[in-house]
Amino acid sequence: MSRHKPAHKKYYFEDFSPGDVWEMESPAISKQEIIDFASRFDPQYFHIDEDAARHSPYGGLIASGWHTVSLCMRMICERYLLDAVSHGSPGVSQIRWLRPVRPGDRLKLRLTVIEAKISRSKPDRGSVTHRWEVFNQGGEMVLSLEGVGMLARRQHGTSA
Amino acid sequence: MTAIKYYWEHFVPGWEYVSPARSLSAQEITAFAREYDPQTYHTDEEAAKATPFGGLIASGWQTCAVAMRLMCDGYLLQTSCIGSPGLDEVRWFKPVRPGDALRLHSTALEQTPSQKDPRRGTVKFRWDVLNQNNEVVCRMVARQHYRRRSPAQ
Repeated sequence: MSRHKPAHKKYYFEDFSPGDVWEMESPAISKQEIIDFASRFDPQYFHIDEDAARHSPYGGLIASGWHTVSLCMRMICERYLLDAVSHGSPGVSQIRWLRPVRPGDRLKLRLTVIEAKISRSKPDRGSVTHRWEVFNQGGEMVLSLEGVGMLARRQHGTSA
Repeated sequence: MTAIKYYWEHFVPGWEYVSPARSLSAQEITAFAREYDPQTYHTDEEAAKATPFGGLIASGWQTCAVAMRLMCDGYLLQTSCIGSPGLDEVRWFKPVRPGDALRLHSTALEQTPSQKDPRRGTVKFRWDVLNQNNEVVCRMVARQHYRRRSPAQ
């Protein structure tokens, strides 16, 4: 077995077709988590200081946008990515932080596959372009983006 | 809250800032990844050797978050910034590995007054994250909203 072909996984490039929808959700985000993340990475006052945040344009504490995308990444890992042979991502585009995420919010992520293409230069893998739409418990969209993931093809894997 | 030194008017196109370097340890990489992006090549130094990346690499989201921190420490907390509507793009060009020392190079690209609120404006930036070899490991194109020092007439 090639060292670059890890043990059998459940999901491969072939399991993602345009129009496919994957849904996942996250437990409520706590005030403390918001403050902890922001204290490490994004200590703007409206992310770390509840009192000062009341006088911000948001009227209260809100999560760093980087925190929101990181929580989404965890949902995707748990939903399918840890069961896939991933070659990482070249990037994402059109990140839109549409509404603030506040303490107690429960996020739902709907991932829709837009395009799936076999790589020309590396035929053992393909790129899957997908759109994230993230909603709060009130059904309001708080975040959207378009991402690309590189996934191994099944016929090139170990135990197809 | 830190006192505000820089308002929207400050960020004329061509304005630049380069941060000091901050290195990422293997422990910081795995700690972030266990919480937010637990893929093997981010969480397990030994198992990462057998992945396409040949060793431990940082989650791309951690690179973005570290860039944000460099920006906060460098200038953002002294500005009138009131948040961001989003980013046009995030590109991860090269893996970030343990011991890499990252710097943020922020460049203002465009300044747009708010159509709705004469007290605000938007600035479009390019944020490049460089490693110790001056390679751009990550590039972001982002927008941020700022209060103006003086309202538009």
